[in-house]
Amino acid sequence: MLASLFGWAFLVPLLPALAFIVIGLFGPRLRRLEYGGWIAVGAAFVSMVLAVLIALGEMASPDTYTSLSYTWLSLPANPTFPYGFSLVIGTLVDPLSSLMLIVVTVVGFLVLLYSIGYMHHEHGLPRYYAELSLFLTAMIGLVLSNNLLEFFLFWELVGVCSYFLIGFFYEKPSAASAAKEAFLITRIGDILFLLGIFIFFYVYASDGPAGLHWASSGFLFAYGNVPFLAGSLGANTPLLTIAGLCILAGAAGKSAQFPLHVWLPDAMEGPTTVSALIHAATMVAAGVYLLAMTSIFLGFTPTDQLAIVAIGGFTTLFAATMAVVNTDIKRVIAYSTISQLGYMVLAVGAGFAMVGLYHLFTHAFFKALLFLAAGSVIHAIGTQDLFKMGGLKRHLRVTGAAFAIGGLALAGIPPFAGFWSKDDILSSVYSVTGSHPDYWPFLLMAMAAVFLTGYYIFRVWFLTFSGDRTRDPTLPTPHEGPWVMQVPLIILSGFAIGAGLLIFIPGFANLFLLPGGVTALGIPPTYGTTDILLSALGVALGGGGILTAWALWGNGRIFRLPEESVWNSARTVLVNRYYFKVAYDAVGARAVYSVARAADFVDQFVIDGTVRGIEQLFSRISDRMRRIQSGVVSDYAAYVVGGLLAVFVLLLLAGPYLVNRIGGG
Amino acid sequence: MTTLPVGDFLALASGLVAISIFGILTRRNFILLLIALEIGMNAAILSFVYFAAFPQCVTAATCHPLTGQAIAVVVIGLAATEVAVGLAIVLALHRIRGTTNVAEANSLHL
Repeated sequence: MLASLFGWAFLVPLLPALAFIVIGLFGPRLRRLEYGGWIAVGAAFVSMVLAVLIALGEMASPDTYTSLSYTWLSLPANPTFPYGFSLVIGTLVDPLSSLMLIVVTVVGFLVLLYSIGYMHHEHGLPRYYAELSLFLTAMIGLVLSNNLLEFFLFWELVGVCSYFLIGFFYEKPSAASAAKEAFLITRIGDILFLLGIFIFFYVYASDGPAGLHWASSGFLFAYGNVPFLAGSLGANTPLLTIAGLCILAGAAGKSAQFPLHVWLPDAMEGPTTVSALIHAATMVAAGVYLLAMTSIFLGFTPTDQLAIVAIGGFTTLFAATMAVVNTDIKRVIAYSTISQLGYMVLAVGAGFAMVGLYHLFTHAFFKALLFLAAGSVIHAIGTQDLFKMGGLKRHLRVTGAAFAIGGLALAGIPPFAGFWSKDDILSSVYSVTGSHPDYWPFLLMAMAAVFLTGYYIFRVWFLTFSGDRTRDPTLPTPHEGPWVMQVPLIILSGFAIGAGLLIFIPGFANLFLLPGGVTALGIPPTYGTTDILLSALGVALGGGGILTAWALWGNGRIFRLPEESVWNSARTVLVNRYYFKVAYDAVGARAVYSVARAADFVDQFVIDGTVRGIEQLFSRISDRMRRIQSGVVSDYAAYVVGGLLAVFVLLLLAGPYLVNRIGGG
Repeated sequence: MTTLPVGDFLALASGLVAISIFGILTRRNFILLLIALEIGMNAAILSFVYFAAFPQCVTAATCHPLTGQAIAVVVIGLAATEVAVGLAIVLALHRIRGTTNVAEANSLHL
């Protein structure tokens, strides 16, 4: 019965789009509706209800793939595409997209509700709610898209909305610069992503089930209940490897993986709610979603898989090390996001796309919870500097509890959500290290990161909430936010506790089915002996991290490294983010800018110089020639005499010839 | 009719033309410039008169002695007219600029 809703799936992105238009046009006049805030919340709520109903329908009748398309461009056969070429726009309701729909709409609704309270005192609210609604539209559209090109279209739109929202406080130069940086870096990924799409289009110009060809059907992901290109991959052809690497580049840009990770910490210049929605739960998850979609519907070659595992595993540890020393509450959580995305990428690369998405599902909730709790702290106390906070758990009970729950989920402590998914990733990757021994270093990096994760998140908790440090007296007395801020925190805490356990409900696990009704590897997690040992190791590492944090930072202690120790220089490197930004600036600002300046020089002095030189030449000639007209009569007489003399000379020279010609004597 | 060598006459005429050109180019006083101009015209008239006295018979017109004389009379009249106009210009220039220096009249907008 609910399956009949699948045809109406296009309403889910349409409602926030309408909210965008309404708020954009009438926002400034709606002071009583929080300048359009409640409109956005309403649209998000209806979208959420519809999305949950669709997901419930998908759970009830699993393995139903409903794809509706509208062909908007159709070209006849030509040499590159032997069966024609069409472009479609449409929706695909399948287990994967339903799962993502839940994530996007639930977190989107809660964040919008929270924004009503958090952003109450800001300026430019209509712009904020309109842009958030547009973002929600784009993200839902991305999740529901049924072909690769439409996916890319919404991918770009999401990036644009991210630019708008990071630069929301555009009068601040750092915010404008951060928005530009985010857009440019994700753009690098996007261009490579587009290149990858083109390579795939070219390679599979005529592939597909008998009679149906990928290109002429519009590059759809699924045909019925099976991927369009089932079983075509596995061969390690160079072209497909390059295409896969390009897709990885696109995902790395959007999900802030190494080496395109530098934009995410700077993106914290945007409002905290934006960070919660975009840079924790949804947009950055789009990169992982892309990798999962490609791995399921198109496929990666073994070289690509190794590359993905390498990037994911490395980034996990890399980002965690930088989170350990940061002093800004939001930036620690940002690095944590990069690190957790590394886990997801690691899982997808190892061939466990659904396990990675399971972690994406739980991560969305507890990361959004952490960000919103941090936002509550910032709203209460007015600063983001960890060393200006302390002892807030007396004043902010709900926030403190929420942050603790999110932290426990992040660190992977059972029974909180993060434990189940992170553990599933680690044991899944471990299970294939036998056949892929080159995955070992990255698995070890991921496990080391578990310890650092527990440490850094509880360092934040202890610095913020415990102890009795005297705070900056000029800051206001902290108090909890209004109900619109506390309710999302409570709801998300519930998800952070229970989301992981949902996988064990068979109905819910239907959302993790692969095409054709195949159960995905690792879903639900199984617990053999090695798995239990690995889980215990993971919990021990996480708990060890938490205890270390308590030992160094709990109860008001502040841990300072001795000035001359080697750890201090290591710490400096970490604080400076491994000098990545400096390096990128050197490459970009110096190298590329020098090329630009050289080109500008050529343009100005060579090309323009030639033009100006010609102008000067004519100008000087005419200047000289103008002096003939001196106005002095004698000069004119002289010219006449000169002409006369010339005529005489000519006649002298040409005389005999002329006489001969004219004749006579 | 005596026959004077052509060379002598032409030398005289050339000398007068040279004097005239020199005068046109270097005289600052407008009236002296007109005098120099007049000398030049007289040189031309002299040439016409000579060739009327010693006609070079190439065509029928040049054999007739009156051709040169007619041209000489016309040119004398022409010279007189031209000098009249020149003197009028000098008077006008003097009225406006207060000078007869040729170099002073170097602009169309006096």
